[in-house]
Amino acid sequence: MALLEKLHRRIVDMGLVPRIIASLPVVSMVCALFGFISIAILPMDGQYRRTYISENALMPSQAYSYFRESEWNILRGYRSQIEEMVNMTSMERNNIMGSWLQEFGTKTAIYENEQYGETLYGVMHAPRGDGTEAMVLAVPWFNSDDKFNVGGAALGVSLARFFSRWPVWSKNIIIVFSENPCAALRSWVEAYHTSLDLTGGSIEAAVVVDYSSAEDFFEYVEISYDGLNGELPNLDLVNVAISITEHEGMKVSLHGLPLDQLTINNYWSRLKVLCLGIRDWALAGVKNPHGNEAFSGWRIQSVTLKAHGNSGHDITTFGRIPEAMFRSINNLLEKFHQSFFFYLLLAPRQFVSISSYLPSAVALSVAFAISSLNAFINNTYASISIFSEYNLVALLVWFISLVISFVVSQVFLLLPSAGLLMAISMISCFLPLILSKKVHISEPLSYRLKNVAFLYFSLVLTSLLMINFAMALLIGTLAFPMTLVKTIIESSGEHEVSAKPYISIKTEPKEETELIENYEDIMPGKSQQRQELKNLLLLVLTNPFISITIFGSFFDDEFQGFDVINKLVSAWLDLKCWSWFVLCIGWLPCWLLVLASSFESKRVMLKSKEKQS
Amino acid sequence: MDYTALKVAIGCIAVRLAVSSLFPSLQQQLDQSVEFSTPVTSFRSLQEGIYLLRNNIQVYNHGVVHHPPILVFFLCLFNSDTLVSLIYALIDGLIAYQLTEVTKVFKNLKVKSWLPGVLYAVNPLVLLSCISRSSVIFTNFAISSSLYCILVDGNVILSSVMITVSGYLSLYPILLLIPLLGMLKNWRQRMFSVVTSILSLSILLLFSYNILGSKSWSFLTQVYGSIINFEKVFPNLGLWWYFFIEMFDTFIPFFKAVFNIFIAAFITPFAVRYHKQPFYAFILCIGWIALTKPYPSLGDAGFFFSFLPFFTPLFGYLRYPIISALLFLHAIVLAPIFYHLWVVLGSGNSNFFYAISLVYALAIASILVDLNWAMLRIEYDNGVPNIKLKVTQI
Repeated sequence: MALLEKLHRRIVDMGLVPRIIASLPVVSMVCALFGFISIAILPMDGQYRRTYISENALMPSQAYSYFRESEWNILRGYRSQIEEMVNMTSMERNNIMGSWLQEFGTKTAIYENEQYGETLYGVMHAPRGDGTEAMVLAVPWFNSDDKFNVGGAALGVSLARFFSRWPVWSKNIIIVFSENPCAALRSWVEAYHTSLDLTGGSIEAAVVVDYSSAEDFFEYVEISYDGLNGELPNLDLVNVAISITEHEGMKVSLHGLPLDQLTINNYWSRLKVLCLGIRDWALAGVKNPHGNEAFSGWRIQSVTLKAHGNSGHDITTFGRIPEAMFRSINNLLEKFHQSFFFYLLLAPRQFVSISSYLPSAVALSVAFAISSLNAFINNTYASISIFSEYNLVALLVWFISLVISFVVSQVFLLLPSAGLLMAISMISCFLPLILSKKVHISEPLSYRLKNVAFLYFSLVLTSLLMINFAMALLIGTLAFPMTLVKTIIESSGEHEVSAKPYISIKTEPKEETELIENYEDIMPGKSQQRQELKNLLLLVLTNPFISITIFGSFFDDEFQGFDVINKLVSAWLDLKCWSWFVLCIGWLPCWLLVLASSFESKRVMLKSKEKQS
Repeated sequence: MDYTALKVAIGCIAVRLAVSSLFPSLQQQLDQSVEFSTPVTSFRSLQEGIYLLRNNIQVYNHGVVHHPPILVFFLCLFNSDTLVSLIYALIDGLIAYQLTEVTKVFKNLKVKSWLPGVLYAVNPLVLLSCISRSSVIFTNFAISSSLYCILVDGNVILSSVMITVSGYLSLYPILLLIPLLGMLKNWRQRMFSVVTSILSLSILLLFSYNILGSKSWSFLTQVYGSIINFEKVFPNLGLWWYFFIEMFDTFIPFFKAVFNIFIAAFITPFAVRYHKQPFYAFILCIGWIALTKPYPSLGDAGFFFSFLPFFTPLFGYLRYPIISALLFLHAIVLAPIFYHLWVVLGSGNSNFFYAISLVYALAIASILVDLNWAMLRIEYDNGVPNIKLKVTQI
């Protein structure tokens, strides 16, 4: 304490306090910059760690895998049958598949969902367990690219047949055939935990198999692990999947990296995987789901294995990954808990944990808090009492913008028209310019609005930090230019006439202050106009919908045009992914407040009665 | 005739009724959340008590109900759900009314008389606490009526009785009798107040003994014993639960005593040190109890904050109001998130939530410390604000 006291006194003695206060905008910038730099140094040598299996019970690849050439013919047989199913209805497909599963003693049932189609699933009871826990092998009939998952379905049924002959299982095995890897699978998972009759206990882990070619061979495996709403599977499961895949001699691709980049491991490749990882994590559910997303939210750890290419390894090698993974998960005595739940992968075998990456988003949140502080104290109105009407009005405006944002979020859920939303956003950006002559706010109110806006946004970022780091980082970065919007102070002119009503909004008599108008010209017309245009540009750039659309179309090939908005809406409707609400209720109110604060403002001057007398 | 207080009260009631009718499921959601509901204040256990009472089953033999008998009996009289929510809204409205009336007493306070009442009416902490039907609202009502009686009417008897009622409802507010004594004019009144309190307490307890038809003292251990002994180690925003989860059994009685003494220990010093500002001492004690009690909820903190507008002259002296405010904001925003990470998603653990409950405690403590400093400074300036003057802390 003494040291702090001394430091504090030293700072005061050196007169640093006013200087720091004056340079708060710079401090805020520096904070944000620190955030980006601290992300950028993560891929450097010494900053990241090698992955390791934390839970000793898992022992991946310790047991010999038996899903080999002997199963190949069976698999081919199933596949040639399945190839003919492409044009069948889901009912026919599921009935045939169900009869196959029943042949080797699997209990099957069909979950029917009017909206998302039927899902066939079978439960194989564990010969050695008490049947309270289960592992899931999920095979969507059509994969995320809407291709018929021939190889995956054939693998699923032949693996099920293979598993059924083994006495080693201590957890039930559930095999699921859903129509697609997103909404249909998600609805099945939800039904499993709420309404289904045939169940096999709590699901510990899930593996989604995606092998959409009818070829016998494939080149490399893509592993996806990002869950909805910022949830990641336990790092142990991802590690098990990666180590088994590499143990079998295949290459692992993360976040859609093409084959020729898989062998490179240098700073830039790691940075690329890191950035792609943050993007995919933030947009999980909004992007085409791979299948593992469907299991988020019920303490289920899940990964998707996807085969790419058509030469090299044979399909049974691919089958050995789920086999060995199930052997590993089968060994577990407790739920996954040993390893990290919060991590970023830089390469299949390299990761950074939360303590390394969290500071960057914290710094962004602090940057907004400092901007808020700056709007509060870095002007002549800092001394206004906290119960002054400016503050109350600012809080009221905040509340109103919150309500507006909520209404916007609900309305566009009902009528998802991205074009309309973009048009409205665009038009409202121009409001301060169009109405510059008609609508004025008082200057202190403008500052207080910004104060509330940035404080609110900082709180939103902080609350997202742990639960959805990537989202916090993404929206923090995209919204940061908002802090540069400057208050426009009206130049003198028809000042006297319109300023009168604003005298009623003044500080309390308690402060013994009184507002009198200031007649001096503050900003010459030209620079004011430039500032207005700059504000306009910043507002356009930081509008949540425009901003996310720009981000989507520049940094992700999946989205074209206004796709992102539609996908955000459907992600909520189909998958219960909150990203839409984070944008609408977290970001939009702040933007609306900043928009309101960028209206032309009138300067009011505080003058204490004492001074007058 | 001045209708400000009445308007504020009606506004307060209207807001509560509007929220509870617009979001009918909110009550149960809030009642499940650790921030607003604790084992000793939750509406669920109160309902259980009402159910047991209606079916003539011993209320206090099952370890579920920790609400005092008269409260259970009182709410048992009302059958319909809307009536119950109306009662909760009414009581909150009364608190807002009393706050507004109390503001009028402080003539030289340069705050508009409606402000504290309106702030109480829209304060989300109190609002949500009222919607969750936490029984903490009855305690708060008793405390604020006690203040109202002594400050507005100068009625010593009623004031002492109301403090006793608040103590009867949730034990620790009985300590507020000490700062209340400081607000009385002479020793005769003080003696009188103490005697009234003892009498009314014994009447309340005797009444409780008879009221539920079972004639048993078991409610004493269930209602007060469970609070003093911290029998239900549930996660909450307080400082107790994590401590007692981690502790070896042998030390538990000792530290329970320490924690209880800790609550009581600061009350008298506050009352004595600020005997010239007894109202301030009273509010400080409310804050202290909200910080250290075993089962705190956000309703307690919200009630404490409702009195802060009375101290606007002190605000200039506060050294780190921004830090305290940010700490508190972050604590209440992150608490439900970290609880969710721990209990629902399983990707966090109990340390997450405990860390946030520490931040919450730190926020309230820093507000208390800062208020103390501000009061001492204004005393030093003899009531004439001289904010520019630099004084050094020892």
